[in-house]
Amino acid sequence: MKAVILAAGEGKRLRPFTYSEPKVMIPVANRSIMDYVVRSLVLNHITDITIVVGYRKERIMSYFGDGASFGAEITYVNQDKQLGNGHALLAAREHLDEDFIALPGDSLIDGRSVSDLLSIGAGYGALVVESDMPAKYGVALLERNRMSDIVEKRGEGASNIVLTGAYKLPTSFFDVLERCVEGGDYNLSHALKLYIQEVKLEPIFCQGLWIDAVYPWDLIEVNHAALANAPIQTAGTIEAGVLIHGKVSVGKGTTIRAGTTLYGPISIGSGCDIGPNVSIFSSTSIGDNVTIDPFTVIRNSVIMSDCGIGSHSMLSQSVLGYGVKVRSHLMASSADAFVNLEEEFYRVPNIGTLVGEDCAMGSGVSIEPGTIIGPKSRIMSGGRVTRNVPTGAIHS
Amino acid sequence: MCGIVGFTGNREAQGIILDCIKRLEYRGYDSSGVAIVSKGSLELRKSVGEISVLESHLDKISGATGIAHTRWATHGKPTTANAHPFTDCKGEYALVHNGILTNYMQLKEQLVKKGHKFTSETDSEVLVHMLEDASGPDLKSKVLSVLKQVEGSFAIAVVQKGHDEIIAARNESPLVVGVGHDENFVASDLTALLKYTNEIIHMLDREAVRITPNTVELFNLDGETFERQAKKVSWSIEDAERSGYPHYMLKEIFEQPRAIHESLLGRLEGQEDDSFLRDQFTSIKIIGCGTSYHAGLVGKYIIEELSRIPTTTQISSEYRYSPVTESKPLVVCITQSGETADTLAAAREAKKRGCKTLAITNVLGSAITREADYVIYTRAGPEIGVAATKTFITQLIALYLLGLKLGGIKNTISSERRRVIVSDMRSLPRIVQSVLNDAAALETLAKKYKNAQSMFFIGRHLNFPTSLEAALKTKEISYIHGEGYPAGELKHGPLALLSKDTPVVAICATDHTYEKMLGNVREVTARDSPVLAIGTEGDQDLCKYAEDVFLVPKVDPLFSPVPMIVALQLFAYYLAIARGCPIDKPRNIAKTVTVE
Repeated sequence: MKAVILAAGEGKRLRPFTYSEPKVMIPVANRSIMDYVVRSLVLNHITDITIVVGYRKERIMSYFGDGASFGAEITYVNQDKQLGNGHALLAAREHLDEDFIALPGDSLIDGRSVSDLLSIGAGYGALVVESDMPAKYGVALLERNRMSDIVEKRGEGASNIVLTGAYKLPTSFFDVLERCVEGGDYNLSHALKLYIQEVKLEPIFCQGLWIDAVYPWDLIEVNHAALANAPIQTAGTIEAGVLIHGKVSVGKGTTIRAGTTLYGPISIGSGCDIGPNVSIFSSTSIGDNVTIDPFTVIRNSVIMSDCGIGSHSMLSQSVLGYGVKVRSHLMASSADAFVNLEEEFYRVPNIGTLVGEDCAMGSGVSIEPGTIIGPKSRIMSGGRVTRNVPTGAIHS
Repeated sequence: MCGIVGFTGNREAQGIILDCIKRLEYRGYDSSGVAIVSKGSLELRKSVGEISVLESHLDKISGATGIAHTRWATHGKPTTANAHPFTDCKGEYALVHNGILTNYMQLKEQLVKKGHKFTSETDSEVLVHMLEDASGPDLKSKVLSVLKQVEGSFAIAVVQKGHDEIIAARNESPLVVGVGHDENFVASDLTALLKYTNEIIHMLDREAVRITPNTVELFNLDGETFERQAKKVSWSIEDAERSGYPHYMLKEIFEQPRAIHESLLGRLEGQEDDSFLRDQFTSIKIIGCGTSYHAGLVGKYIIEELSRIPTTTQISSEYRYSPVTESKPLVVCITQSGETADTLAAAREAKKRGCKTLAITNVLGSAITREADYVIYTRAGPEIGVAATKTFITQLIALYLLGLKLGGIKNTISSERRRVIVSDMRSLPRIVQSVLNDAAALETLAKKYKNAQSMFFIGRHLNFPTSLEAALKTKEISYIHGEGYPAGELKHGPLALLSKDTPVVAICATDHTYEKMLGNVREVTARDSPVLAIGTEGDQDLCKYAEDVFLVPKVDPLFSPVPMIVALQLFAYYLAIARGCPIDKPRNIAKTVTVE
């Protein structure tokens, strides 16, 4: 069995975290989302994997290499223009000469999800879940154990059976897909909609893990789920007087200084310098090469690699992109808030702040809950941020 | 400067030795060949050109023991006759050799007198004819008796008709043994073997080995056996593959943020042993060749800035023949492979002159690590592209770390300055990533400049060496004549060469030389030369003076060479792409230079 992972799109809805890398590469528990997808395939002995890449493909290729360190053999196929997921799948056609599994690279899954899909044996099917928010996804209409129709996103009340985007398909599907793409329809579910008129596609209810980050604040929940299953590594230097509760992973070359308290699950990458006297609460991921200065408190957050957080800062329910630098006394607490995403407002419970990569903040910055701060922006010392800050802007 | 490989086991050797030797193509690729011990015969095949040429017209030869060679011509032209392996007059032995025999002329004369027929112009062929005449009970003793008579450098592997053993030996040329299950290997470089085994034994000078499918017997050239444990190498074969990138060079450029991170791991807390830097020395001399020399030139500025210790940089092959002076500097030897012949010789010379030596190298257990008193490893991982990129960046990182340590010992940097420097160093992976994110802009610029015959790179202070390195990158992969120059020297000659057809790349870091650089840019535009200025973010003046501008993220001037060179590596790469050059295998040059 071969597998193809679709990873060419940017994942625009996850902005600001897709500024320099695609959604599939966003780290949760210190591994990219697609890392979990690849490992789930390998767990099920599917090692011949084709990845369709496009937007910022170098980030993917440098991370996965030729797949040897994952126990897989990875081939990359380039989709020059990101026209749609159907177009992307078609790009991989020449590598798929037998029944195959197609997966989106941007949903967190586990080995069980893949084995569910394989459990169908010789038949073909789509991995589905029941959802209480079907409006966010494409849904399937069922008729006696087969899918009778597929309805696009925001189909109101039609069904609560959501398509996960994972399928087991035969190569004959490519003929239908090719016709659609040549006709200018690049959407995978449109081709599937036609295909199920000819070939029986069974709905397979997913018993394993399946979480999709649709909006940037979903990363906090995805990170929480990923931490629950993350392996533990204990390396680095942990000074005397560090208190560790629960599952805490520390990467090599990291120093955790005296008086620091860590309540797991927490994952800390390599080359970090944390403390003294820092408190980190569950469920938090901290990337590589991060410094956190004394008396800072962090809870349920994602801090990506190369960040530096000054002393006396408070960060709750928040996501900091790569290379965010904060002087000291940052106040980023959380509350229920209305978040403005591309001029649409969403009510999000208990949310902190979402900061894009390479943002630099002075001392004593305070940020209202639910604020999105764009990449490469600068917030001057003493700034009070109550509204979203655009990319590259200077906020004083 | 060649690569050798040997395999003996219980499966067909042909595919395996071809696969291994291909991974050594970076050591040279003007001709190649294999010898396989087949039933009742010894089969040799050779061809001119890259290994794929040999592979394409190779018939199937059955046999589980074989040797292979990829050549970079030193003695004799790249022809099929001069390609290795060589065999003796009777076709009993086959041999591959990497190195240069200095006394081969005398040996050859004697052999010719005895009636031996030579088929090539190489030095290497004498070895196999000597073997024919050698006496001894077995192959091992015959090889040892031959090696006693030769002078010069060698790594050799020998097979004999009807035997499943390989004898290999080294002196001043690299050799490793790979230990597998019911099969064993020898090779010039461990990257050749990683697909098959990661258990590696490093061989030292004047040591030899006899491998059979089930045994590895180590001995020195006097025949005394010894034991050495195999080391598990953590590099995986994946590290040595291109994984989706069109060229190793581009892959390696994009690996630089990771390489910098790895090189800094655990080294910023100042807890590493630095006692060796507390020895008595009042000056420092840095030596290296090519890109490593350029890193050394940057190192001079770094060390003087951070520790105020007077530092000079010299090319290895020049240092070696320079007169002995009164001072006894700490000699810092920079070599990516750890096998660079000129730098090794210079390190030996430094020791002879009573200096302490510190090596900066990327390869664990390489020759320089045994020559030098102390070692700082760059942690770039294997670099296959001939044009050095990530190893240069990590050499700079090693020099920053060295400067920081020396500054601490000499008490020339305050604790606050130190804190800022450490924080700046931590930001380097991110800064390099930002430059990489803008690669598309450099690709566009390169297309514009691709038709230049000749190009100048100018910079001042720390970025003068950056200009030399950028020019070298441009030369070696895009074949444009690139010339690096200190910007202040333009008016002392090179201005005469400028015209509208000679683009100038100006490296304009925002430091104390910035105003002067602007002056130089004006000087150049007055001669109608198109100027591509590389500046730092926030610089709003540059676009007034230069035709094209590329901005890198702002860093402390001390660290400006890091983002600058990454931008210029990409520029050189895309120039070469636009000109259709064979990037990973430029003509006439090889990765590791093991000849002087």
